[in-house]
Amino acid sequence: MSRLMKAATPTLLGVVGVLLLALPLRLGAGVVPTPLLPLIIVFFWSVYGPSYLPAGSVFLIGLLQDMLTGGPLGLWPAVYLVTQYIVISQRSYFLGREQKVVWIGFAFAATGAALILWLVMSLMSGVLLPVGALLAQMATTVLTYPLFNFGFAHLQRRVIVEA
Amino acid sequence: MEVLGQDRREGLGRRADSRVTLLTLFFVSVLLLLSSLYSAEASVFRKARETVVDAAAPALALFAGPINAVQGAVGDIRDYFNVLKQNEALRQENAELRQWMNEALALRETVASYEMLHAYYAPPAVRPINAIVIGESNDAFSHSMLVNVGSDEGVSHGQAVIDPSGLVGRIVDVGKAASRILLLTDVQSRVPVYIEGADVEGLLVGRTKARPAVTFTKSSEPVIFEPGQRVLTSGAGGVLPRGLPVGVVAEDRKGEAIVELYANYARTRLVRVLNYKFPTVEPDEVATPSDGAAQPEASSSSASASNEETRTVQPTPQAVTPVTPASAAAPRPVRTEEEALPEEVED
Repeated sequence: MSRLMKAATPTLLGVVGVLLLALPLRLGAGVVPTPLLPLIIVFFWSVYGPSYLPAGSVFLIGLLQDMLTGGPLGLWPAVYLVTQYIVISQRSYFLGREQKVVWIGFAFAATGAALILWLVMSLMSGVLLPVGALLAQMATTVLTYPLFNFGFAHLQRRVIVEA
Repeated sequence: MEVLGQDRREGLGRRADSRVTLLTLFFVSVLLLLSSLYSAEASVFRKARETVVDAAAPALALFAGPINAVQGAVGDIRDYFNVLKQNEALRQENAELRQWMNEALALRETVASYEMLHAYYAPPAVRPINAIVIGESNDAFSHSMLVNVGSDEGVSHGQAVIDPSGLVGRIVDVGKAASRILLLTDVQSRVPVYIEGADVEGLLVGRTKARPAVTFTKSSEPVIFEPGQRVLTSGAGGVLPRGLPVGVVAEDRKGEAIVELYANYARTRLVRVLNYKFPTVEPDEVATPSDGAAQPEASSSSASASNEETRTVQPTPQAVTPVTPASAAAPRPVRTEEEALPEEVED
């Protein structure tokens, strides 16, 4: 893989994550919500390699998600950028910690993201929206985080940084 | 994680990972959000959305095929386990439907005899556009689907989308070869409906829950309806045709009717976009309906021959509140066959 290709891998993964959110996956006959893969990607690379996922990429991933899922423009870029900002500021805490600690950190990040989403969407629609679907999606995302973390760690260590 | 911990300052953001960029982009996002709050339908945003939907459509269509196949296979496996139960249920339903069929055939004859009357003018014909769902927003708050037809096929804003079970939603974004359906459960969805038998009209409001609610204007008289009554589109506002089946009233919650939708979004796969032009009523046109196309014989032949012709039918009071497209097409066997979905092999 060329240098550029490696450098662009996290961004491309983010785009794939957005595409997954726009496909009619209907996991478990529509009962299980699709995990928010871009959120995992933003979190992971903010901790382990912020230079591989610059703010511009995060912005574009979020904007693409807004356009494909039909939400108000600017919502997901704002959520992802806030996540990135906070995670980068806490980076020194996460580096070198056990994976369990990082996982709990991600659970906090997902909760924060959910809170922003709910507040903004409730504000925009003028009613307090039900939180059930949002909580289910965030729970799925948090529960599948270790799986993606394992894969991305491998990718980052063996392919993107080394070799 | 030794290697992961090292920041080698490589990658796309070698020079651009400063916080200034991040914060700037964050404020850009907030500005976008605020401006979409005030001008959600701004042409620039809509154009951008439609362009992106169009660009992503081939990729989505590519993946949607295999996903469909896998889901079909999984569904088949599940069906093997309850084939007996399903068979029994289907046999029962078939018996019921046969009774309905006989009744419908009798009604068709009655309607046909009424159509022979000179006072009858056919409602404008609906031309359905068959489409396949290639995308769906897996989002907690935005509920929409993407279909593989666009302005090239004649899709335009506001058109109703139905599937074999009932109303699915309406078109909000139209690209050249793909468009977006706003589902009835989306928080932005508002569809004028009426409750059959209760003689009340209301607005079907999406609340991001699986069952939307019909809200009524605050009137002095309390609105009376019962669970089990059908909910159909009312055609008020002149966007959706009247009489499309939406669902049944499930319960009364604080004066609002909670509706169990006919459409099952977990299974929506093949849909039809209804290319329906609402008739514009002008008083003198109603008074002197003299066009030959309004005659029943002429309209039934032109319905299959040319859609453009039937849509120029002189509007009449009956045409203002047209009946269900399906029932409007019922007396014309040619059209019903034409309208049938290519393969109704869902399940």
